[in-house]
Amino acid sequence: MLQIKNLSKQYDGKTVVHDVSFHIPKGKVISMIGPNGAGKSTVMGILSRLIARDSGLVEFAGKDISHWKSKELSKRLAILTQSNNIQMKLTVRELVTFGRFPYSGGRTTPEDQEIIDRAIAYMELEDFQDRFIDELSGGQRQRAMIAMVIAQDTEYVLLDEPTNNLDIYHATNMMKIVRRLCDELGKTVILVLHEINYAAFYSDYICAFKDGRIAKFGTVEEVMTKETLSEIYNVDFEIMTIQNRPLSIYY
Amino acid sequence: MNGIAVRSNHRKLIVMAVLTVLCAVGYLVVEVNFSNPNLVRYAMKLRAPKLLAMLITAFAIGGASLVFQSIINNTIVTPCLLGMNSLYTLIHTAVVFFIGSGSALAVNANLAFAVDVVLMGIVATLLYSYLFRKTNHNVLYVLLVGTVLTSFFGSIQTTLTRVMDPNEYDTLLTSLVAGFNNINNEIIVFSVILLGAIVFFLRKELALLDVLTLGKAQAINLGVDYDRCIRRLLLGVTLAIAVATALVGPISFLGLIIANLSRQLLRTYRHSQLVLGSVLFGTIVLLGGQLIVEHLYTYTVPVSVFITVGGGLYFLYLLLSRKKV
Repeated sequence: MLQIKNLSKQYDGKTVVHDVSFHIPKGKVISMIGPNGAGKSTVMGILSRLIARDSGLVEFAGKDISHWKSKELSKRLAILTQSNNIQMKLTVRELVTFGRFPYSGGRTTPEDQEIIDRAIAYMELEDFQDRFIDELSGGQRQRAMIAMVIAQDTEYVLLDEPTNNLDIYHATNMMKIVRRLCDELGKTVILVLHEINYAAFYSDYICAFKDGRIAKFGTVEEVMTKETLSEIYNVDFEIMTIQNRPLSIYY
Repeated sequence: MNGIAVRSNHRKLIVMAVLTVLCAVGYLVVEVNFSNPNLVRYAMKLRAPKLLAMLITAFAIGGASLVFQSIINNTIVTPCLLGMNSLYTLIHTAVVFFIGSGSALAVNANLAFAVDVVLMGIVATLLYSYLFRKTNHNVLYVLLVGTVLTSFFGSIQTTLTRVMDPNEYDTLLTSLVAGFNNINNEIIVFSVILLGAIVFFLRKELALLDVLTLGKAQAINLGVDYDRCIRRLLLGVTLAIAVATALVGPISFLGLIIANLSRQLLRTYRHSQLVLGSVLFGTIVLLGGQLIVEHLYTYTVPVSVFITVGGGLYFLYLLLSRKKV
């Protein structure tokens, strides 16, 4: 249902995304990986309507996303970027309540409140729900943001480097949450990741970028090979199988 | 926001509204000789337009500053720090300079004001939206450029007045150096209509302010047409600043003080409350200040001096007390 066709983007004459096309499988976790400047974050930005593209299509349910009404799209596609410096005095519950904005505007219905309660409970934030966002730790804040996305109740969730600035414990938790979003709530999750092993362990598909093009798109097993990864990152790789998952060691 | 906080904010706003009314009544009746109806009428004739002008100013500056801060997601910036009122002064001077003080445009205060407002709307929207786009909403850059622009506009304006015919300059001066003791009464009605129209045409965007403060990415995620919304709100802000500057002249720090006091007192994200708080604070500061100036200092010190001194100190406090900018 979400399909990218011949996407291109230039910055100051330099092509950062070059004729990228791929189809996003529904109900799966898809990770975009690649070295710095490979274009993965730009593709994510274009998918999330934050960056204007130069050419190409992003088709959602048969219609290009620029032809969608912003409000309608926001009921089906949620976006979470890495920069979330909220300047307002906002409690966790208020933040999660914003997830219902596309549906009810500023006024929430009792049904909305129920959905908000469930989202907060799902992220185990009940004890924090009346705390201000700026008083939370990075991990808690990230969970609050996810709770908002859950309240938004969309089929698709786009996450731009969700493990950024998190320690191993919180990053791993984050990845488990991503998996649950897909397995328990049936969402299609598309995320940009820097850690290859997180991508390998927690996703279904990997889309690997290099120099603005897709170097390899496929299932985890297809992408996580010594040859492919070495070619993408220009680093030597060894692949080991742990818990039936191919994990990489690089040096 | 939980119920208790909402209720306590309501209580705070009610207390402020009562204070505002007290100030307004106080301003009208202090030291009026009620035994002589002629004196009462005379006092009211002097004071009522002034009171009205101050209410309009408080509304324009309080609302505009708060909205502006929310648009660019930074609470230490006000439209005035970006040179919006020097831009207005420049436009006003330039119109008189190029058209001449004898023309119908300059003689009719309302017509002159209308021309100023239209020009201001166009120039400011183009200029500031370009600035924000170009710097990628980097507030520090915008602030820096704004400071430079303030003196840039100021210099052009001074140059224009120097080359100007002295008679023209004399006519210009009366409408240029507006102040609380020299309010442009002619344009009060026009100002009220203009502000009313701004609020009416921007009612949808104003309702989106709460969402806008979550940042560009989140606003777009939640289905807001971000760029259009920001453009329209920015236009509203510049027009409101133009109204305030035309009425009472530039008061740089008032917006900063009242918007931040409102944020500090109410500690909420709800703009319906924040804007109201900011407007009420504005009225209290202006009316209270003017009361003190008129009756305690008997006009020796203008209220803008208090506002600038107090505002400057408060600005420093805000800068120093913030952990990160």
